[in-house]
Amino acid sequence: MKRMNTTSLSKPGRLLAIAVPVLAVALAGAAVAQRSIELGPVSGDAARGKQLYYDYTCYGCHGYNGQTGRQSLIPGRDAILANEASFIHFLRLRADYAPTVPAEPMPNYSKKTLSDADAKDIYAYIRTFKLDAPPIDKVPALVAIVRSAERKPKMPSKHR
Amino acid sequence: MSKKEQDSSGVSRRRFLQGAATGAAAMAADIAAPNQSHAQTRSDGSPTARAGDAPPPTARQIERDAGDIRPPAIPARKVQRPGSDLMVQVLKDLGVEYVAGNPGSSYEGIQESFVNYGNPPNRTPEFITALHEDSAVDMADGYGKAEGKPMVATLHGTIGIQHGSMAIYQSFYSGTPVILLAGNDQAFIPAHTALDMAAMVRSYTKWDAQPSTLPEALDALQEAYRQAMTPPRGPVLVVLDMKLQKAEAGNLAVPKFRPPTIAGVDAGVAREIAQALLNADNPHIGVGRLRTPEGIQNAVELAELVGASVSTRATQGPMSFPQRHPLCGPGANTKYDYALGLEVPAAQVALIGPTVKTLSPHRDVMKVGFGGLRPGSTPSAFRRGPRVTPQRQIEIDAEASLPAIIDHVRRMMTRGHRRTIERRSAAHAVANEKAFVAAVQKAVLEKRIGWDLSPISTARVYAELWPLIMNEDWCLASPSNFSGAHHRQLWQHNKPYSYLGGQGAGAVTHTTGACGGAGLAAKNRNRFVINIQTDGDMNYTPGVLWTEVHHGLPVLTIMHNNRAWHQELMFMEFLTGARGRGQTRASIGTTLREPYIKYAKMAEAYGMQGEGPISDPSLLSAALKRGIAAVKRGEPYMIDVITQPR
Repeated sequence: MKRMNTTSLSKPGRLLAIAVPVLAVALAGAAVAQRSIELGPVSGDAARGKQLYYDYTCYGCHGYNGQTGRQSLIPGRDAILANEASFIHFLRLRADYAPTVPAEPMPNYSKKTLSDADAKDIYAYIRTFKLDAPPIDKVPALVAIVRSAERKPKMPSKHR
Repeated sequence: MSKKEQDSSGVSRRRFLQGAATGAAAMAADIAAPNQSHAQTRSDGSPTARAGDAPPPTARQIERDAGDIRPPAIPARKVQRPGSDLMVQVLKDLGVEYVAGNPGSSYEGIQESFVNYGNPPNRTPEFITALHEDSAVDMADGYGKAEGKPMVATLHGTIGIQHGSMAIYQSFYSGTPVILLAGNDQAFIPAHTALDMAAMVRSYTKWDAQPSTLPEALDALQEAYRQAMTPPRGPVLVVLDMKLQKAEAGNLAVPKFRPPTIAGVDAGVAREIAQALLNADNPHIGVGRLRTPEGIQNAVELAELVGASVSTRATQGPMSFPQRHPLCGPGANTKYDYALGLEVPAAQVALIGPTVKTLSPHRDVMKVGFGGLRPGSTPSAFRRGPRVTPQRQIEIDAEASLPAIIDHVRRMMTRGHRRTIERRSAAHAVANEKAFVAAVQKAVLEKRIGWDLSPISTARVYAELWPLIMNEDWCLASPSNFSGAHHRQLWQHNKPYSYLGGQGAGAVTHTTGACGGAGLAAKNRNRFVINIQTDGDMNYTPGVLWTEVHHGLPVLTIMHNNRAWHQELMFMEFLTGARGRGQTRASIGTTLREPYIKYAKMAEAYGMQGEGPISDPSLLSAALKRGIAAVKRGEPYMIDVITQPR
């Protein structure tokens, strides 16, 4: 596929060129977030990918296990993580665009700095992530939080 | 000659010893040659000295020779009533509880009065030993936010002002009432003095004074309190010359304190607002940050009188409406036909006092233009613009306006109003409770994700804490923006000091000191402080840990140890990607690795109990229980928790 030369566009044009596909992918992800997504095959090395996930600071925004921070990376919940191609496509989306002030927190991962092979290894590691979300009733602290919310608080009242 | 060689009578020790030796030699000469007749007489018969002759013994020497030894008379103290005693008396009269400072000779006069003047001495105010002026001012900031009134931070000359300047800057942006006292000793090291000491921080203080007489100094201290407490509130500075601190006060009396007068809306506007609240079918009150706990009580009273639903900023910072008050929430009907804003924008009328930032055009004498504010410009209090544009925004203190509005509501209230208001209030209470429970149920579903992970999720740290503190009197004094702010969804913020909010100017270096100051506020009030402490911040002023131990401050420090200045790491990560150079070196200069810092050991070095590092989440709750038990005994405690980055 011929790539659009975004540098020839005006700034608003460049923003649109970048923003539209990003938004489309994001919306697609949001729309299917609650249902299981069919996952593609994995060809990378998860063990190597674990080190790359750390070296490329993916943990910075997604946590060491892909479940905390800005955006969780649980396979099956997000279309971006459906297969290697969608993952790599997302990483490259903003590779040629370097805004002074980030409008989108996800950094660029250009092919020059992160090869397809390395990206596939990272993807393989992400695919090992499992959602760690125990039932509320199995977690005493969370049960206590809900129960305390249900209790009517004693509140000082000047008027009454 | 050093001042220590000079006794109180003004005679130097060296000169005194020389004099004594001369006298003794004279006596020896007399004894050695009693029979020699060197003495000549004048014509009147009195002895006359010749060159080489010893002078005759004095009467005192003769007395001494006869064994009639009496101690020399002790000269009266020149200063019976030091000026600094009166300065401290002013602060006592104002009820100032604490003075935090790092010692410095430029304020030794008043420091001596702090620790020795009064009965009992060193009480109200009590001198708190800080290990850095930045910590001292941060302590005053944390205390001021928690109590809504100032404590004092002392600053040693030009050094202390510059050390404390970052914390002063944050207090300025927070609008926290803080009194700063800077010593100035022109007779000592010149580099520690300046002609206009306050100029260094004038751009980000509300008010300052450099009195030249003792009466002026006493007035200045009282005015400092008034200025700090009057909107726009912020840090104020009084420079105290050493001569005034050590001057004899004589019969000078401390002037009677005149409390500040804070203007509220006039009677006409108060009546108009009261009428609108009573006439509305569904009134709403938005409450922002008020000044004092009394202001919150008045806001509660007004809401209850008119049966309005209320929005609060209690999860964002101090001094706002109690989150679990039955009227707090969206209410049974979110189509409000009249909305009143108290220090927040609102659809119809907003009462919003001036912020200290509006003073910058006058105070920024160096034309620095902090915050991008151009010198000479006249900023709005809301430069970013409110999300709601009120039909009418009145720049006046909301808290001071409440009594008049309440008074008019009471006068205009009819039986019909009361019946309607009772029904509406009951409906709001049901709806608000339902909304709150639903929000918490939703939140726990999110916060449980990553529950058993190691490193430990920040959500779990907050979640595990709540069952342990929910029946206690607690204060979350650490800014939560870097640790997920999970308390906003999981905890209940019902006290003026439940959460003390952000750093002010958004800079680290703040948390340790501010939590120490909140600990001072908590100390004698059967309260304790929770500090979820970011590791980057901790390393600026860790000496606060010693202060907490030394003064027995009930502060539980829970390290959010993600081993980085993590926000900066994320910024760097983005930029390396944006520039197409890859993220693999983004950790350089942004992380705290090789070696990892052991914070429990750091606490131990300062004499604080502690434990960790804890990375196994199953061990967290028990550690927190031990920590809570310690702070309830009045002992600070540290738990080092290895956490997820965010």
